[in-house]
Amino acid sequence: MTVTGSGKAAKPVNVIEPVVAIAINTFRETVRDRILYALILFAAIVTVLGIVLGSLSVGQDIRILKDIGLAAISFIGGIIAVFAGTNLVYKELERRTIYIIFTKPVSGWQFILGKYIGLCLCVAVMVMAMGAFLAMIVIALGGNVAGASFIEQIKEITQELSLIYLELLFVTALATFFSTFSTPVLSVLFTLAIWLAGHLGESLLELGKLTQNPLIAQILGIIFYCLPDFAGLTRIRGHLLYGTAPGTEVLTYLVTYVFAYVLMLLVLAAIVTERKEFS
Amino acid sequence: MADVVIQTTNLSKELTSSLLRRKVRILSGLNLTVVKGETFGLIGPNGAGKTTSIKLMLGLMRATEGNAEILGMPAGDKRALAQLGYLPENPYFYSHLTGREFLDFVGQLFGIERQDRKERARELLETVRLTEAADMQMRKYSKGMLQRLGIAQSLINRPEVVFWDEPMSGLDPIGRRDVRQILSHLKEKGTTIFFNSHLLPDVNEVCDRVGVMNRGRLVVDEQVKNISAGGNYKDLEDFFLEFVSKDDANIKASSNASNSTNSNCDTSSEEARS
Ligand SMILES: Nc1ncnc2c1ncn2[C@@H]1O[C@H](COP(=O)(O)OP(=O)(O)OP(=O)(O)O)[C@@H](O)[C@H]1O
Ligand SMILES: [Mg+2]
Repeated sequence: MTVTGSGKAAKPVNVIEPVVAIAINTFRETVRDRILYALILFAAIVTVLGIVLGSLSVGQDIRILKDIGLAAISFIGGIIAVFAGTNLVYKELERRTIYIIFTKPVSGWQFILGKYIGLCLCVAVMVMAMGAFLAMIVIALGGNVAGASFIEQIKEITQELSLIYLELLFVTALATFFSTFSTPVLSVLFTLAIWLAGHLGESLLELGKLTQNPLIAQILGIIFYCLPDFAGLTRIRGHLLYGTAPGTEVLTYLVTYVFAYVLMLLVLAAIVTERKEFS
Repeated sequence: MADVVIQTTNLSKELTSSLLRRKVRILSGLNLTVVKGETFGLIGPNGAGKTTSIKLMLGLMRATEGNAEILGMPAGDKRALAQLGYLPENPYFYSHLTGREFLDFVGQLFGIERQDRKERARELLETVRLTEAADMQMRKYSKGMLQRLGIAQSLINRPEVVFWDEPMSGLDPIGRRDVRQILSHLKEKGTTIFFNSHLLPDVNEVCDRVGVMNRGRLVVDEQVKNISAGGNYKDLEDFFLEFVSKDDANIKASSNASNSTNSNCDTSSEEARS
């Protein structure tokens, strides 16, 4: 029995390794959860429903099918991000697995980054799986419609999915952030509220004008400028669906905005975690 | 003088009870020194502050007063943590990971090389008799199996110091014997061991020194060989009961005394239990 050897097996400073370890661990834990598959099944059912509706509509419009399919993917991806994300840190605290992590040479930011990457990977796999399913159906049905080639169809769906994923990266970061200090139920509410507010986009400004109350209008304005403009993102996706490529300017702006936001949320989450006591 | 591995100076912890905004002292002025190669057992009634002491030494909790140093570094220092092993109380790990994956994960957190990690995990699974269950997900593990895995993970980095919070808890007689054996192997290699336990015969057998903790204070700290040799105590249990009851009596007497002088119930904050 070799129990110890006081060997210097461990390096005191390892920056990437713990992040990778925590990411893989989070990915495995999430992917092996059965709830996930119930959600995927739901997405598949919605898409199939879309086919039925699509075939009822005039001229077998493949766009309706794609629209419904992508909406289902975005929705299910969001559900996974919100529910897995809000549990992410909370579960580790509740089950005290966090004791194992923070008694190792691991920093708060490594923990948060690892958790975030792990969940984003999981969401990516789910979005890709659902996307592949949708692409298969579209190609199967769309082969004889219009002139759109196989490659074009795939390209369009991939572009759409990337934009959906961009949005999900934000939702996941938001959920991760809340989960460092709040219970899952509250975190879900906060995350959904902010996500939806982001979707209102410019309607927030309109709403402000409608109230005719300068204070409320101002508050709604601030909310609008503080959140990523998901309504804008959805518009871009809509244009894509009709074959118009989005303006690079808008796209660059949105991507930068989302990444800056994600970074800020993760830094805050790391700070909260670093200051925590585990009693 | 031998190398000091664990040293606490006036280590104290207060929690603010959220309901009444009243401060509760759960550890008061712990002064303790454990030297290299020593096996120290901390015993005491439930809620005495044993787990709290370990958490403070590892930096999971922050001291309100005083400090703890491990291997000459402040509690929670990453360089010290790299050389520690820790078994939490009632370990519960990741339900969807297998035992082997979990050990690999812990090894990775330490930055151990892949090949070494695999080898180490295999060895340790053998040591704690979990080889057969190694590829089963942890949600299917029994309490004792989780405890065994907890012990295995605490040794993955070949630690200089181990902190074990109730290592025997939930183990069958074979498991307890295994743990005693692991402990003696660790001792042979010169590992410093700090552990909490309620199983006094085991403590008696493996420890060089024991401390009795009661209501957040270390009441006595004595070499095991002196306890029975002095002839004052039948065994460790006798020693334990004697000191705890004496301490309880003291606290009662002093709180009575202060009650009669200023009739203020709040003076004995140690009495407060949440
Ligand atoms: N998070 C917390 N909030 C309030 N009180 C706490 C908290 N953690 C610990 N305590 C209190 O601190 C005291 C010491 O607890 P600790 O867990 O250290 O005891 P212990 O000696 O390990 O007991 P056991 O033998 O039951 O494991 C207890 O009175 C407990 O109620
Ligand atoms: Mg305890």
